[in-house]
Amino acid sequence: MDTKIILDENELPKKWYNIQADLKTPLEPPMHPQTKKPLCSADLEPIFPKELIKQEMSQERYIDIPSEIRDILTLWRPSPLFRAHRLEKLLKTPAKIFYKYEGVSPPGSHKPNTAIAQAYYNMKEGIERIATETGAGQWGSSLAFATQLFDMECKVYMVRGSYDQKPYRKMMMQTWGASCVPSPSPDTNAGRTILEKNPDTPGSLGIAISEAVEDAATHSNTNYSLGSVLNHVCLHQTIIGLETQKQLEMVDETADVVIASAGGGSNCAGICFPFIKDKIDGKNPDIEILAVEPSACPSLTKGLYAYDFGDVAGLTPLLKMFTLGHDFIPPSIHAGGLRYHGMAPLISKLHADNLISSTSVYQNEVFEAAVMFARSEGIIPAPESAHAIRAVIDKAIECKKSGESKTIIFNNSGHGHFDLSSYEAYFSGSLVDYEYPADLIAESLKNLPIVA
Amino acid sequence: MTSIGFIINPYAGMGGAVGLKGTDNSIKEAISLGAEPQSATKALRFLSGLKEKDIHFFTVNGEMGENVLRKTNLSYTIVYHSEKNNLDPIIKTSAADTKKACLEIMKAHVDLLIFCGGDGTAKDVFSCTGNAVPILGIPTGVKIFSGVFATTPESAVHILSQWNGNNLIDGEVLDVDEEEYRNGNLKTTLFGIAKIPYVKGLCQCSKQVSFGDEADNMEGIANFIIEIMQDDTLYLLGAGTTTKKIADTLNISKTLLGIDAIYQKKLLKSDLNEKEILTLLNYYDKVKIIISPIGAQGFILGRGNQQISRDVIKKIGINSLIVIASESKLQNTKSLFIDTGDPDLNSSFSDSILVISNYKMGIRKKLIH
Repeated sequence: MDTKIILDENELPKKWYNIQADLKTPLEPPMHPQTKKPLCSADLEPIFPKELIKQEMSQERYIDIPSEIRDILTLWRPSPLFRAHRLEKLLKTPAKIFYKYEGVSPPGSHKPNTAIAQAYYNMKEGIERIATETGAGQWGSSLAFATQLFDMECKVYMVRGSYDQKPYRKMMMQTWGASCVPSPSPDTNAGRTILEKNPDTPGSLGIAISEAVEDAATHSNTNYSLGSVLNHVCLHQTIIGLETQKQLEMVDETADVVIASAGGGSNCAGICFPFIKDKIDGKNPDIEILAVEPSACPSLTKGLYAYDFGDVAGLTPLLKMFTLGHDFIPPSIHAGGLRYHGMAPLISKLHADNLISSTSVYQNEVFEAAVMFARSEGIIPAPESAHAIRAVIDKAIECKKSGESKTIIFNNSGHGHFDLSSYEAYFSGSLVDYEYPADLIAESLKNLPIVA
Repeated sequence: MTSIGFIINPYAGMGGAVGLKGTDNSIKEAISLGAEPQSATKALRFLSGLKEKDIHFFTVNGEMGENVLRKTNLSYTIVYHSEKNNLDPIIKTSAADTKKACLEIMKAHVDLLIFCGGDGTAKDVFSCTGNAVPILGIPTGVKIFSGVFATTPESAVHILSQWNGNNLIDGEVLDVDEEEYRNGNLKTTLFGIAKIPYVKGLCQCSKQVSFGDEADNMEGIANFIIEIMQDDTLYLLGAGTTTKKIADTLNISKTLLGIDAIYQKKLLKSDLNEKEILTLLNYYDKVKIIISPIGAQGFILGRGNQQISRDVIKKIGINSLIVIASESKLQNTKSLFIDTGDPDLNSSFSDSILVISNYKMGIRKKLIH
């Protein structure tokens, strides 16, 4: 079998897949942060374009991808699906391992799949400037890339831990014309308040979201854009899974396991949702969908399924999701993109409905897997993507023990060329295996009074 | 100009080479068995590595400092003469000299006191300095269980060159029972908690991932533990400043080196011995023990906190232990150790343990038993 499975440009999907149409019960609505009542479209209009709000709430199963967006996506899409022959050989596993490689995009990850769409819809509605946050820098650089294609300004609040670790991501954003500041920043009320309390904070995605939302709400020409969590973001990323399904068809393969790392949930949604449709429809009922999280921030694996704010300051709508609490600030693990207290409501719902399972892994075992992958397949993966690789390797080893020849698919969501200091930390033995003390927290919550 | 006190225990390490497991009371025996001095060579490795010109040493004459310093270009003042006081032709210096020298050095208001020796020397030095002066050991002795030592003379050079003069963390000084040790038993008690210089990891990347400083970590740990404390549970707080921070936050006066009992966020009893703990356990169904790793080897049980005995652990169960330590404290401790004295009980512990290192955060460490 070939190593690369390539689709022609004219096979680029023409529609995104909206899993909301196939949920057993509808998604619980987001709530207004003040009134605690379900949000309506008008509540979101100060920061989002109408078309994205429509997509956020849509129950249509398929939504057309405008030709202008498809045209830009062809700069790197369809992305290749690889058969990881060499990794299989290294592991001596009977499992067949395939990976979708999203690191071929100009910014180097899956993030531009939605950045292009979001910039496009904002541009169509006359927005001149977009404010956003970024964790590892993949989203910020993707939105910088996307906005400059439509002659828009872009302001990126980058989690300070990552800003310090990855100066080249900041330069990428500058190259594409965006302004990038470390978060918390003195540019917003939310940032100033946190800096006063803790001037040395490494920041978090939740804090950066607060700043970007405030920026958008206080500038009339500015909208906010989010790189993960929201339904429309998950929708745009489904192009990954839709392409993967076509590529598997080309080689007559059926997925048994689909694995993705999960921080806010967008790359997981992207590869998994089209396969979950097959599970729901009964076309592939036994397929296993696995989300992999860092043990330092295991919202899906150890969090509570409850309404919570999407940000630290409590400015965003309340979302029903698996959460560790919006005030939880994860430590500065190297997979900065996975440092988020919550999880996409759609992923959360599917997890609650037992359609997605989850696991959490430690930093050192993640990098051990990343190095095995780099040494066999050549690609140096982003630390975020390497969480999936860890689980893939564990699954392939299980197959070796059981003798099963499962077909394992995973999303290699980006390259790690800007994460080499993380690899250095791993090689020097200085990576810390952070772990959320879930049992102690659960024990203390057990005795809370039950409020009717 | 940095002022540093510098003391060498010239006999440290001599016992080890001839199989005496320590030199404290058997220097003559070690010398008669052909033991060679170890300390001076390592002391010179340390001093030769110093590039900093702006240091002045306060030291002792002869083998306790002067002889080695003379071989370098470093500036020094002799503040104590040891050999004047000792008439023994073989053993020219003693533990008493170490203590007297420390007291003289402290009069010079040094920023740091560096000593070359082992656990015995650390105890002698700390008994004089207390927390008035930070100390740092260059390991030249046989027994290095206290948490006040650099790993090598070269790492002591690194610490000294990178230290900002203010950043300090705790280091436990352990009293090792020499006679028991000679018989193959490691029996230690926690003698005190010294202040030692703290420098973040050697590599740039480890700096980038550090999660707040020592004080933030300690505060985060205390706040988290208090948040999860239950009113129906008895808490036994072990020795050290990390556990003491919990008591301080609750406005409870806790002993630094002892085990104290807390119930419903109030002090029940201080400085409990094993028997008192076992008696207390008869009255409380739910008990948690909160302890911090002790010493250079990161002992959780079995060294320095013998009050939490095998019988205590058996009674409350191994899952009732909550281990706490700041990230900086854990930085140089690759693994943690448990030795309850009962192999079966030891093996019932898992191969790793979660150490609470901040508010709602822990670090998974390898556990050796």
